[in-house]
Amino acid sequence: MSAAVDRTLAIASNTFREAVRNRAFIGLMILAIAFLFFSLVLSELAVRGEKVRVILDFGYFAVGLFGVVIAVVMGVILVYKEIEKKTIFTIIPKPIHRFEIIVGKYLGMTALLILEVGLMAVVWLLALWLKDAPISWDILKSLILIFCEILMVASVAILFSSFSSPILSGIFTIGIFVIGRVVHMVDQMLNARRGLFVDVPALRPFGEVLVAVVPDLQVFNVTQDLLLNLPVSTSYVVASIGYAVAYIVCFISLAVILFQRRDFI
Amino acid sequence: MNDVGAPPPVMEVSNLRKSFRIGLRMKRVEAVKGISFQVQPGEVFGFLGPNGAGKTTTIKTCMGLIRPTSGTVRLFGADHESLHVRTRIGFLPEHPYFYDYLKPVEILDFYGRLFGIEQRERKRRIERLLDRVGLSHAKDRTLRRFSKGMLQRVGIAQALINDPDLVVLDEPLSGLDPIGRKEIRDILVDLRAARKTIFFSSHILSDIEMICDRVAIINFGKLQSIGTLEQLLHPDRMSTEITFMSHDPELLERVAKVSQRVDRLGDYSRCVVDGRPDVVLKMLVDGGVSIDSVTPKRESLEDLFVKEAIRGAREQQMERNQ
Repeated sequence: MSAAVDRTLAIASNTFREAVRNRAFIGLMILAIAFLFFSLVLSELAVRGEKVRVILDFGYFAVGLFGVVIAVVMGVILVYKEIEKKTIFTIIPKPIHRFEIIVGKYLGMTALLILEVGLMAVVWLLALWLKDAPISWDILKSLILIFCEILMVASVAILFSSFSSPILSGIFTIGIFVIGRVVHMVDQMLNARRGLFVDVPALRPFGEVLVAVVPDLQVFNVTQDLLLNLPVSTSYVVASIGYAVAYIVCFISLAVILFQRRDFI
Repeated sequence: MNDVGAPPPVMEVSNLRKSFRIGLRMKRVEAVKGISFQVQPGEVFGFLGPNGAGKTTTIKTCMGLIRPTSGTVRLFGADHESLHVRTRIGFLPEHPYFYDYLKPVEILDFYGRLFGIEQRERKRRIERLLDRVGLSHAKDRTLRRFSKGMLQRVGIAQALINDPDLVVLDEPLSGLDPIGRKEIRDILVDLRAARKTIFFSSHILSDIEMICDRVAIINFGKLQSIGTLEQLLHPDRMSTEITFMSHDPELLERVAKVSQRVDRLGDYSRCVVDGRPDVVLKMLVDGGVSIDSVTPKRESLEDLFVKEAIRGAREQQMERNQ
């Protein structure tokens, strides 16, 4: 058991080390931090009383956006590159189970995303502190929720890149992300028995499948609550973490099954 | 059947078949068609075949990268996918590629961790291996800056990090300059001296001839020949090359009648005679011609390789016609 953990951690630390030096990651991080600093400049243009709101809104958007972009880009690059560039040929013949490779890759990605979200959070909080904005626990909770969403997107990226090309994996992952952000509306339409899915009956089963399969990423979006100073309850955060973990386990398990059956030609 | 008490073959491939579905129509292509062979402990086994013969598919199946359609692979008498077996194997794939942003020390440390080698021991082995493959000077450079030959050396080093009993090398000498080739060949010779079993494929036949105890030739997914070089290269299939100093057209015409071919080489002429050269030598001596050299030529691995490639192509054509 401990040997399996050691091997998985070896894959994870190697993934993290490789990714953190990757130019794509460094470039995106610089861009993300520059974007957050830009919110400081932008806030100066806001009317009095709205400055903090601009930083809050902008920061929330930036952490989420760059988190997802990095999760997609790195998730797709890390597994696909391993297969396409054939590094995997030197790993599979080693005494390691295939599932350990996928789990290790995901843990490496998680470490990378902790670094990414952590750095962005520090810059965001610094920007808020510079503007004398109150830093509440709710901001921290919102960061945890963003992180859950990013981790879920990363698991989708790893799932797709375990069997398809990087471009397709990227498109599929972004597709799931976009659908995940709007799937609650599909659910509402289906429940209210109006809208597109009722007007075009042939689409209804499609809508039902989307609601059943695609994770509702809106669960992790508490921007409105933050902006309206509404509290984000701890029980809500815990339930959302559970929701994310359940989906991540499903996606990673599916990735493992596909990876397990794959021939590396 | 093995003798009681004798160690099992290091590698035992039985009736191995592998088919792939390719293209939009999912056309079935059989890359390996029922191959069987064994590699014994301490043997250096050369695996030859033209491009697309099924060599790499066979090797990848043995290494667990590809699942066989049917047939079995056993390594050290156990299932080839068992983790215990894998601790005893070192594998270098064809055209190896490693993580761009890592350094050789980091890469080797990573592979060492996969084998569960303790940190201090890893450090010791890495230093020794880098020295052995001639990369000590570049150990702090990221692999992005490495040439193809340097990457090949990293590949060899990672294949040896666990001090394996079986070393499987797919085209280990490709992409190397003559010095690099010699260095890798020396490593293989050292491994042989250490009684390691080596299984390697190569297009460089002279290297195979120099190092291997036994060879197998594969073509169109089938095993065509297997045996020691002595068994495969028929000593009786011998020709003799005679170089002599004469361009006399009448003599050359007479020599041509009993030779395989006659060429002109500057001041000299050269003829190749099948079997014994007595008749031509007598002809030249009687004609008062100065003989420069008489060189017996045995069948080379290259001759055998070409012959088997032609035979395989012919059989393939016949199968298609049927």
